[in-house]
Amino acid sequence: MDNSVIIKGTKSGIIVVLNAVITFEELKEAFIKKFEEASDFLGSTQVAVSFEGRALSLDEEKELLSLISKHSKLRVVCLVETDPLKEQKMEKALGEKLLEIEKNTGQFYKGNLRSGQVVEAEHSIIVLGDVKAGAKIISTGNIIVLGTLSGTAFAGSKGNTNAFVLALDMRPTQIRIASLIARSPDNPVKEKEKKTKIVYVEDGNIYMEEFNKNVLDDIRLN
Amino acid sequence: MGEVIVVTSGKGGVGKTTTTANVGTGLAKLDKKVVLIDTDIGLRNLDVVMGLENRIVYNLVDVVENNCRIRQALIKDKRYPNLYLLPSAQTRDKSAVTPEQMKKLADELREEFDYIIMDCPAGIEQGFQNAIAGADSALVVTTPEVSAVRDADRIIGLLEANEMKNTHLVVNRLRTDMVKRGDMMSSDDVVEILAVDLIGVVPDDENIVVATNNGEPLVGSNSLAGQAYMNICRRLLGEEVPLLDLNARNGIVNKLASLFKKN
Repeated sequence: MDNSVIIKGTKSGIIVVLNAVITFEELKEAFIKKFEEASDFLGSTQVAVSFEGRALSLDEEKELLSLISKHSKLRVVCLVETDPLKEQKMEKALGEKLLEIEKNTGQFYKGNLRSGQVVEAEHSIIVLGDVKAGAKIISTGNIIVLGTLSGTAFAGSKGNTNAFVLALDMRPTQIRIASLIARSPDNPVKEKEKKTKIVYVEDGNIYMEEFNKNVLDDIRLN
Repeated sequence: MGEVIVVTSGKGGVGKTTTTANVGTGLAKLDKKVVLIDTDIGLRNLDVVMGLENRIVYNLVDVVENNCRIRQALIKDKRYPNLYLLPSAQTRDKSAVTPEQMKKLADELREEFDYIIMDCPAGIEQGFQNAIAGADSALVVTTPEVSAVRDADRIIGLLEANEMKNTHLVVNRLRTDMVKRGDMMSSDDVVEILAVDLIGVVPDDENIVVATNNGEPLVGSNSLAGQAYMNICRRLLGEEVPLLDLNARNGIVNKLASLFKKN
């Protein structure tokens, strides 16, 4: 039996092991023969294909793929890269890209966070509700509370000092940004009116001030 | 070597946390080095009563799990520099800590502090077992109500079964007017039922509510409850202090007098 082309089935597709020694023309012949033989067995499913055992140029890959569709009923959905180095590179690039997207996006949380509840997010978070005393909200990015913040908020938890915390009604127990911690005063002045405030870091100190247009201009994302 | 005292009751809402805060603060006032430990994991509030909630960074579970050193988790009180609080974790539950770990922790703190006071959660489950694990003595808090006394009796039984050497009774929220009318058990009645040493009787005092809400223990103040708690502290230190005359109710004359004393 000619073993210059071997077809292996996997869960999601087929792996075609190619002989590296014979010429490409010889290989094509064996390739066609193999696929014609196996056509009935392989059926007409959608598969991912990967080539192994032989370095192929882009044109050669293309040619082999067209041979598959010509000589079997398989429908090739994608060609899978098997070179581990390349794969790693691609994975890394994909990961970085995803992270970049995450940095600039936020996650919504709807509902009140009550005492003992913790929400932790790998990006900015917007709470549609209150964060009550004893509750905690942690984000690597910014925290925006569309309600009352009376619990603890920890923005920029991975060290981002540009992170900020904003709440429609700001009366937190404690606010942390990056490695800094600020706590509420021991004898807080009772504010009857709700005031939208923003908390941010400047020169290594945590500041809280009323939110207005000027503050908006100072906000830097990431 | 410090003494480890657990404040427990069985029933909830009888004043364990208030007693812990006031006795701890009182002992600190009497120049003892004190650490309060909130063992009520998941339902912490000793920090709120002490007015120290906004200072919490690490907690009991962090210490036990070695996420931080004990020093980092201890919160220094804002009034007394020799008083510390080890807050409980709010986001975990009682099973996050074992009695063995609590015993080890208590033994470590014993080296440095004169008194380690454990605020025990209500109930007799693991939280209770954790709190009493390292304790040398117990303050059992009860109110003069049959339900609280019944639970206190159960607790005393459990403490005895765990070979607790010293068990003292605190009768909390006593109302002399009701006792006089015969509508409430007297402290003597409670002591008779429970058959343990009475270390103090604290009257029902609305100042306690104010103090709790402000996060300022009232021990040592002119209020009756404040005096009662101070007396408990003195007795813990071995002083002979007669029981407070709770009939001297805070009338208008007393209130005026206390006003002048404050100034």
